[in-house]
Amino acid sequence: MVPRALRYRETVRTAVIIPAFNEAQALPAVLSSLSDQVPDHDVVVIDDGSTDATARVARDGGATCLSLPFNLGIGGALRLGFRHVVDQGYDRAYQFDADGQHEPSQIPVLLAALDGADMVVGSRFGSHTGYRVGWGRNLAMGLLRRLVGHLSGQKFTDTSSGFRAFGRPVLQLFASEYPVEYMDSVEALILATGRGFRVVEVPVSMGDRRAGRPSNRNLRLVYHFVRVLIVLLAGSHRRPAQTS
Amino acid sequence: MSGGAHVLVGLLALGALLVVVRLVRLQVLKAKYSILWLTVGAALAVAAAAPGVLDWAAERLGIGYQPTLFLLLAIGFLLLLAMHFSYELSRMERRIRTLAEELALLRRDAERKG
Repeated sequence: MVPRALRYRETVRTAVIIPAFNEAQALPAVLSSLSDQVPDHDVVVIDDGSTDATARVARDGGATCLSLPFNLGIGGALRLGFRHVVDQGYDRAYQFDADGQHEPSQIPVLLAALDGADMVVGSRFGSHTGYRVGWGRNLAMGLLRRLVGHLSGQKFTDTSSGFRAFGRPVLQLFASEYPVEYMDSVEALILATGRGFRVVEVPVSMGDRRAGRPSNRNLRLVYHFVRVLIVLLAGSHRRPAQTS
Repeated sequence: MSGGAHVLVGLLALGALLVVVRLVRLQVLKAKYSILWLTVGAALAVAAAAPGVLDWAAERLGIGYQPTLFLLLAIGFLLLLAMHFSYELSRMERRIRTLAEELALLRRDAERKG
């Protein structure tokens, strides 16, 4: 008889969602490391209105590529990824960065935690990590962390981490209601916990970005910070979003 | 206001009404917005033709300086309009995002078939 855990593993279908905006340079290395380390996971690259060869590079690397007609931002790209994995019948999926910040060696850590949870967040600030950020960002993240802790009734050390895994029920929620603007990761945490899903955080190690540039300047960061504060305080996560 | 100014405002209001009607006929402006501007144009035309109406209303409301009432109404109207447009923009953005997603999914299906 086949052990139960093994049978389970055979039937579970896992997808990797990679949002990519002009990441043709960094993407090939990421795709090849994924096909080395997790060959049985289906990779889907969301080409978020790139003007470079991102889509071609993604297909050459063996990934499924969904191309958006224009740039929607990371939240919009992710929501499309969630829609895709839900209607393709995947059981679970995880987000992965196109710029090489996330390490494939940490994927098993993330997925192992998904067995007892609906959603897993890989935290840069756990025990065996050495991740540094600037003081302004540090302050903003600290404030958001406290607010998220207050609203979710749970402690999170890394609210903006983009290294996350999801079970199907959360994927279904996010396919229609994923927050589509910048700092989506913070809103998504509150959305998932607010709807009663079990969200856990695990410490992971992360590398530096290999190519591309940081996506935001300080003033924009302040604007998005204020916007997220309003969203969180307005409590729109507690109501189903309008659909029209 | 002097008699000349009344004539000028009245002509402008009439001109605005004609432009709105023409835009609707050309289907450049949606009828629902034309109602808005036709109402404004008509109100201006009335105020120009019978200035006593505005004076009377200001007096009833206890506003001593009559143009204040006019400015109050104008600012209130413009604020409401700006809010309405923000609402419409939010809704349109939501719809455009969904359309972009649908397009990407349709492309995926087309590529698999072709």
